[in-house]
Amino acid sequence: MLFRALKGPLSGRLTFPLVCLGVWLLTIELVASIWPFAVDVLPTPWQVAGFMWDEITGNTLAPHNVYQTFWISLQRLGAGMLIAMVVGGVVGLAMGLSKSVNAFFNDWVVAILAMPNLAWALFCSLAFGFGDTGPIIAVVLTGVPYVIINVREGVRNAPSDLYDMARAFGVPRERAIRHVLIPSLMPFLFAAGRYAFALGWKGLVVAEVFGGQDGAGWTIKFWYDAHRAYGVIGYALLFVIFALFFEKFLFDKLSRRIFRWRPEASVAEEAFDQPPAVTTEPQRTPQHG
Amino acid sequence: MADIKIVNLHKEFGAGADKVVALDDVNLELGGHVFVSVVGASGCGKSTLLNILSGIETPTNGQVTITQEGGPARAGYVFQSARLLPWRTVMDNLLFVQEDRSEPTRQRCQRYLDMVQLGDKGKKFPGELSGGMQQRVGIARAFSTEPDVLFMDEPFSHLDAITARSLRAELHHMWQETGKTVVFVTHDVSEAVELSNRILVFAKGGRLAEDIPMDLPFPRESADPDVALAKAEVFRTFERIGALTVR
Repeated sequence: MLFRALKGPLSGRLTFPLVCLGVWLLTIELVASIWPFAVDVLPTPWQVAGFMWDEITGNTLAPHNVYQTFWISLQRLGAGMLIAMVVGGVVGLAMGLSKSVNAFFNDWVVAILAMPNLAWALFCSLAFGFGDTGPIIAVVLTGVPYVIINVREGVRNAPSDLYDMARAFGVPRERAIRHVLIPSLMPFLFAAGRYAFALGWKGLVVAEVFGGQDGAGWTIKFWYDAHRAYGVIGYALLFVIFALFFEKFLFDKLSRRIFRWRPEASVAEEAFDQPPAVTTEPQRTPQHG
Repeated sequence: MADIKIVNLHKEFGAGADKVVALDDVNLELGGHVFVSVVGASGCGKSTLLNILSGIETPTNGQVTITQEGGPARAGYVFQSARLLPWRTVMDNLLFVQEDRSEPTRQRCQRYLDMVQLGDKGKKFPGELSGGMQQRVGIARAFSTEPDVLFMDEPFSHLDAITARSLRAELHHMWQETGKTVVFVTHDVSEAVELSNRILVFAKGGRLAEDIPMDLPFPRESADPDVALAKAEVFRTFERIGALTVR
């Protein structure tokens, strides 16, 4: 029983942070024994945890507390993602439906996709200066190629058998689009949204470092300028926790709700640990960049 | 009940060296409360004929008219696989092909779900049903539009023998009760003989080779000597047109 529990995925998940903690402490010991002065820049887990607790309880030296900071960043991320989803949706739809539109945009999409986040962040800072516009545009430019590619593939994989069914029954085109095309695109849009969120979040932070006057990225830089390594690591960890919270409590819940018709949606998490279930229907897989 | 008139129907796919003739100069008239089966070897144009009749495909040449007392007829279609919208419930799948979502329409859909013994499954998603149940939903969907003519493309070929047999019995019962015109594509001669009033035998190259009337009384059992003779006649036709090679 105990052996089975240890072999299970839960024990793996619980062991991982403990192993990380051990590696962290050992690294500090090792580095400090070689370069004693490095202790100043290598914070202990307890220093980082203390910093995070202070931030969470509002006891901070930064101009905004952690909640205000994340709210500012979240608004920028939301605006950027909305623009990326709309623009990417329209362009992806056009690319999926028309070969000439696809030929026109394809190289541009690949070029934007290949551009590093840092380059977008620097460009947006130079082009738009300090403020909201630069970080928002950085989110758009980071997320939009993933949305375009996913929507294009969704349109290409549209279920022609269901369109034929609709035509055989004389279903009006508008109703077929609403009940066949749009729902068939949802898994692709959802995957695009998840990627745009994860990558846009990173792009946003980098843009805020260079072109922000507030927000999560700017605050990380604030702790960097203050030469507080525990602040940089602690804030980055808060950032990770915030992203994981969103992933777990927003995207997962939303996914279960939107795809409740798909039996495997309810076991999405277990799918990583167990062999995939055998299905009789051909699966249409969203593209993950 | 509908009247179907097919004149010089011709359908080709591809062009040049890749050209394939799916239907070649088919002329046919059928209508009334009939159950017509279309049989033939794979690739003889059976499904193409059904797709043209239902408007999914357009003919290369020729004309098809489907009328009901002079006006255009309503059609329903049962496919080889159920072709249900996986993201809609069973009831919503039936409502998707209706003209409106009014209460009488909902009640009519419920009646047909009851007929296929799935009256309590209206709120389920197709993924929660077995293959046989999904096909039943497909049949209920086709009947629920109260079509004048029903097209069925090998609807039981993916099912196990027991489920297929029970669905055949249900279909026959529904056909007798509703008085529809049914055009049924199958590669199973036994199925065609047990269900039909008329069997159309198609040859390779999309040619209508034989039109065989089936006047035996219903219900027809496989063990019945007359049914066995009728099957033998269909197989003899296959031999004559070269679709069946006996060593």
